[in-house]
Amino acid sequence: MHELGIAEELLRAILPQAERHGAKKVTRVTLRVGVLRAVVGENLSFLFGHVARGTIAEGAVLAIEADPVAVCCPACGLRTEADAIVLDCPGCGAGGIGLSGGDDLQIVDFDIDE
Amino acid sequence: MANVTIPVGQAVQQSAEAEADILKGIFAAHRLLAVNLVSSPGSGKTTLIEALIGALGGRKRIAVVEGDVETDIDAARIRRLGVQVHQIMTRSSCHIPPFMLREALGNLDLAAVDILIVENVGNLVCPAEIPLGEDVRVAALSVTEGDEKPLKYPLVFKTSRLLAVTKIDLLPYVRFDLDNVETAARTINPGVEIFRMSAVTGEGVAAFADRLAALHDRKIGQASP
Repeated sequence: MHELGIAEELLRAILPQAERHGAKKVTRVTLRVGVLRAVVGENLSFLFGHVARGTIAEGAVLAIEADPVAVCCPACGLRTEADAIVLDCPGCGAGGIGLSGGDDLQIVDFDIDE
Repeated sequence: MANVTIPVGQAVQQSAEAEADILKGIFAAHRLLAVNLVSSPGSGKTTLIEALIGALGGRKRIAVVEGDVETDIDAARIRRLGVQVHQIMTRSSCHIPPFMLREALGNLDLAAVDILIVENVGNLVCPAEIPLGEDVRVAALSVTEGDEKPLKYPLVFKTSRLLAVTKIDLLPYVRFDLDNVETAARTINPGVEIFRMSAVTGEGVAAFADRLAALHDRKIGQASP
């Protein structure tokens, strides 16, 4: 249920910016969410819809882009992406791989009706 | 009426991060090392803090902020050891939010503190997301929890500089492979420093306490470990 806190923070971040742009309505919000964030998209959408009630963001669609984990294998040189933590190279099976990213929680952009 | 896209490119939790920056400034002004201790419930955080107070006593002045959903049981345990302590009851919150920590700091004499240990609410998800302006995040993981925890809750292990593997006195009784957990933790977080310890037998506690003391020394400009 940590999605509730995220939904509240998201609304708090967006509303002042939307108002500054003279928005009558926020129609869509695009988020980039790391696969390591343990965010359930359906929960976040539902809870955002709930907290946005009565604001200009009521009814806005949440579009969620995944931020994958970047995998880099020093043994075989493979560079790829994963949607969860992996300990061994998906290509050659070697351990000691490098992982990065997958932890974004960013507002990419949002659409408004002026 | 036109539909327009507004580019943003900012963190969702920017207000929490801004509040955490205020805390960071408070910690810097008081030249204290702030430690955010996170783990699942029952990993032995409070027992570890009790052991650290013993190991650091005389060298560093410790203060503790306890976070629990309910009760001040943990603060009462720490108070018996004669250090400053304040209990936060978070009620509906599954982590300590920055504003609650800021309020709690008002109950402590920070001028008389070298190391502030914040025991977060036992939870491996939400505390990982919310910065408290800490200098060091410590994840505690007890051997009774299983060695796959870093894979199941990667964010907390990715964002923790130190990992305390606790209750190692129980290793003969549980299926827990220290090598597995250390491989997983290092794959997720290559820079993590891992300490194995038992607060009950005292094994490994001194090394961990020494590391925290050294991090405080470095923060205030004495020595450079």
